[in-house]
Amino acid sequence: MQVMSLKPRNVDFQEMWASLKETVAGVVALQAVERGVWNTRFSDVYALCVAHPEPLADRLYDETRNFLEEHVGGLLQRVQRSAPLESSDYNDGLLSRYVSAWHEYSQGVAYLNSLYSYLNLQHVKRQKVSDAEIIYGSSATVSCPEHDSRQLEVGELGLVTWERVLVRPLATALSSRLVAALNAARDSSPDPSTADTLRSAIHSTVHVQAFRVRAPLSLYVELVLEPFLAAASAHHSRRAAHLLAEGDVSHFMKYVLDGLERELSLARRFLHSSSIEAVRACYEQACVEAHLPALHADIERLLKEASAGSIERQDDLRRMYALLKPLGANAMRPLVDAAHQQAVRDGIALLDAEHPKDEAHSHFVQAMLSLHHKYSELFSDVFGGAQPFVGALDKACSAVVNRRWSGESCARAPELVARYCDALLRRRAADAEADDKLAAAIVVFKYVDDKDVFQKHYARALARRLIHQLSASMEQEEAMINRLKAACGYEFTNKLHRMFTDVAVSADLNAKFQQHLRDNNLTTNSGFFIQVLQAGAWPLGGAMAPLAPPAQLERPARLFEAFYRASFSGRRLAWLHHLCTGELRTKYTQRMYHLSGTTPQCALLLMFENADVVSAREARETLQVSEEAWSRHVKPLLDAGLLTAKGDLRLESPENDEGELALNLSFTCKRTRIKLTCAAAPPNQGTGTNSGTSSGETAHCDDDRKMYLQAALVRIMKQRKVLRHTELIQEVVSQARGSFAPSVAMIKKCIEALIDKQYLERAPGTLDTYSYLA
Amino acid sequence: MSGEDCESLDKGDSDGQKPDKMFTLKKWNAVAMWSWDVECDTCAICRVQVMDACLRCQGESKKDSYGKQDCVVVWGECNHSFHFCCMSLWVKQNNRCPLCQQEWSIQRMGK
Ligand SMILES: [Zn+2]
Ligand SMILES: [Zn+2]
Ligand SMILES: [Zn+2]
Repeated sequence: MQVMSLKPRNVDFQEMWASLKETVAGVVALQAVERGVWNTRFSDVYALCVAHPEPLADRLYDETRNFLEEHVGGLLQRVQRSAPLESSDYNDGLLSRYVSAWHEYSQGVAYLNSLYSYLNLQHVKRQKVSDAEIIYGSSATVSCPEHDSRQLEVGELGLVTWERVLVRPLATALSSRLVAALNAARDSSPDPSTADTLRSAIHSTVHVQAFRVRAPLSLYVELVLEPFLAAASAHHSRRAAHLLAEGDVSHFMKYVLDGLERELSLARRFLHSSSIEAVRACYEQACVEAHLPALHADIERLLKEASAGSIERQDDLRRMYALLKPLGANAMRPLVDAAHQQAVRDGIALLDAEHPKDEAHSHFVQAMLSLHHKYSELFSDVFGGAQPFVGALDKACSAVVNRRWSGESCARAPELVARYCDALLRRRAADAEADDKLAAAIVVFKYVDDKDVFQKHYARALARRLIHQLSASMEQEEAMINRLKAACGYEFTNKLHRMFTDVAVSADLNAKFQQHLRDNNLTTNSGFFIQVLQAGAWPLGGAMAPLAPPAQLERPARLFEAFYRASFSGRRLAWLHHLCTGELRTKYTQRMYHLSGTTPQCALLLMFENADVVSAREARETLQVSEEAWSRHVKPLLDAGLLTAKGDLRLESPENDEGELALNLSFTCKRTRIKLTCAAAPPNQGTGTNSGTSSGETAHCDDDRKMYLQAALVRIMKQRKVLRHTELIQEVVSQARGSFAPSVAMIKKCIEALIDKQYLERAPGTLDTYSYLA
Repeated sequence: MSGEDCESLDKGDSDGQKPDKMFTLKKWNAVAMWSWDVECDTCAICRVQVMDACLRCQGESKKDSYGKQDCVVVWGECNHSFHFCCMSLWVKQNNRCPLCQQEWSIQRMGK
C-alpha cells in the first residue's frame, strides 16, 4: 500500500500553481528556499502529475514554460539595458551583465530541474533521439527534441528558452563584442576579471547546447569560432605581409613562430578545446601557406650558409622546418630536395679538392666520411633526424660515391674503397686507429653500387697480403671480412673466407710436412715454407708461370709433392713460381748481402754457382721462364747491379737475344738487405694495357653476376617450388641488391640457362610460371 | 769501419779465397695451387666449376660457416668427373655417365 500523501487526489490547479510559481521564481533567481517549502513544492509537482481524475502535468509544463519565457524576457532587459546592438565595445558592461545573468540563471535552472524531478522522470516523453538512430537515419519520424519542448526536461527547457529569448536577440551584440575582446587579448593579456567574463561568456554558448545530441557546438561555432577565425585570418594576413615587408625571411620566420605560440595559447585560454587545431590551421594558412614562395626562395641560401657553419642560419632552418612540416609533404619537398642538392654539391666539392695523387683512396673515403658525418649531424640537429632528410642524405651520398668522372665508363668508388682497406690492413700501416677506420669505411662501402667490383679489388689485395704475409693482423683481416659479410651476406664473402681458410690450412700442412721429414730422416737444406691455395677462390690470373728450378729448389718441391700426393687424393698441384719468394745470402762479396726476390730471380742467380757468365737465351731456356715474364724478372737484377749485361742483351725479345749475363763479383751496396722488385703481371694477360677497369674486367664481372643470379634463382625456386615470372624477377632483384643491380635481360638469360640444365621448367600449360625440378 | 769487422767475420765462414759456394739459400716461401685432377674444369651436370661448390650446395650454403664445404668431386671408371652431389642425384634417374653413356661406377673420390 502506498503512503497516503502519494495517493492521487483532486487538486485545485490554480491554487497549487500559484504557490509553486512563487517558489519557482525564487529558485531561478537563486534566492534561498527553506527546506520544508522545497519538500512541499516537490510533493506538489508530484500531486499535479498524478491528479485525479485528470493528470495536470501538461498544464504544469505549459505554465512553467510560460513562466520561464517571461523570466528570461526580464533578464534580457536587465542585460541589454541601453547598450547598442551594433557596437563591439566589449567594455560597455553588456558582457559582464550577460555573464552575471547567465551564472544566476543556469544554476537556478539546474535547481529547478531537481524540483521537477518527478515530472522529468515520469511525464516528459522521453523520445530523445539516440545516437544510433541519428546514425542509421530511423529518426525521420521523430522530431528534433530541441524543437518540441514536450520532449525536454525542465532544465533543458530552461536552457532552450535562454537561447531563444535572450541569446537570439543579442547574438550580434555578443558575437562582435566577444571577437573584439579576443582580438584585444591577443595583443595584451586582459586583467583577470575581464578574462573570466570573456571565458564564461564564450563557454556559456557551449553549455547552453551541451545536452544536444546533434551539433552540440553549433551556437559556439556560430557566435564565437567562425567570426573569430574570420577576423583572425584577416589579422594574420595583414601581419604576415607587414613582417615580410619590414625584414628578411629570418625575421619573418622568427615572428611567425612566436605568433603561432601566442595564438595557440590564446585559443587554449579562451576557446573550446576542440578549436585548437582550427586556430592553428587558420594561422598557418594565413602566415605560412600564403607565403610559401617567399619561404622557398631562400632555402638554398640558408642551407649553404648553415652547412658552412652559420649558427643563425641553422636556427633559421630549424624554424623553416617547424613552419613547413605541418603543411605536409608538398610544402616540405623543396626543403628536402634542396637538402639533397646541397649535400651533393658539397660532396663533389670535397672529392674534387686538391690531394696527392697516390692518396686518392684515403682522400676519397675520408671525404665521403666527413660529408656523411657533417650532414648526419646537421640534419639531425636542424631537422630532428626526420626520415625525409635521412633519405635525402642517403640519396646524396650514393650519388656522390657512385659519380662517374667525366670520360670514365664506371665509378671509381669500388677500387678506391678497396685500396683504402688494403692500406689499413697492411702490416706497415701500423695505425692504432685502423680498426675504427675500417669500421667507418663500411659506411662508405654501403653506398657503393657495384659491390661486386669492389669485391674483385678487395680479393686481389687480400690475396697479395695473405701470400706475401703483409697483413697487420689476422684478427683484423677476419673482422673486416665479417663486416663485409654482415653488410652483404654470405655469397659476397664466400671466396674471401675460402682464401682466409687456405692460409690456416697451409700452416697446419707445413707443420705436418716438417714432421714427415723428421720421421723419414729427410732434410731440405733451406727454410722451406709453402702455401697451398685452392684454385677458383684466389684471383691470381690464369697462366701459371712455368719454371725448371735448380736443384736447391727442386728437392724440397719434389719432397713436398710426394707428401701431398700421399695425403690427399684426386688433387693436382701447380707451383706459382711468380708468387714464390726466396732469400739468398751472397758468399762472394766482401760484405754479406741478404737478397730477396722471386723464385725465377733466385733460380737465375743460383745458375752462377758454376759459371761467371751465362748466355741470356740459354739461361731462359734452361729455367723455362716464359718470354713474356723474362724481362720483368731479370731487369731488377741488372738495375740493382747484381748482374751486368754483356754484348747485345735484348730482354724484350729474348728469342733473338745474343747477349750474356755476368755475375758482378765486385758488387757493393750501402744496405745489406736488398729486396728485388718484380712488376706485377698484367691481369688476365688480356689486353695488356694497364688500366684498372678494362673491358676484360667488366666481362669477367658479368660472368660472376650470371653465376650469382643462377644460384639465387635455384635457391628461390627450391624454396617456392612454383613461381610466376614477375615474382621470381622481383625476388632475385631484391636478393642481388646487396652486391649489384641486375638487368632483367640478364636474369631472363639465367632462367633460360637453368631451364636448359633442367633445374626449372615452364609449368605445363602456362607461359609465365616456372616450377622447380628436384 | 764496422764494415771491415763484419767482412772478416763473414770471410771466416767460407774457407779459402774462392768460396766453393757463391750463394746460400736461406729461405724459400713457395706458393702452389691445388685443383681437382680432372679433364674438364666444369661439372657437366650443373655447369659450375668443380672447384666451386655445385649450384645446389651454393644455394644452401647461405647460413653455413665458411669452413670446408663438403662438395667433393667423384671420378667414374670412364675417368669422367662430376660433383659428387650432382652425380648422386643423376644416378637415381640414369645409371650411366652423362658424358660417355658407359655404366657408372665410381673409380675414386676426391679428398
Ligand atoms: Zn655439379
Ligand atoms: Zn654439392
Ligand atoms: Zn664417362
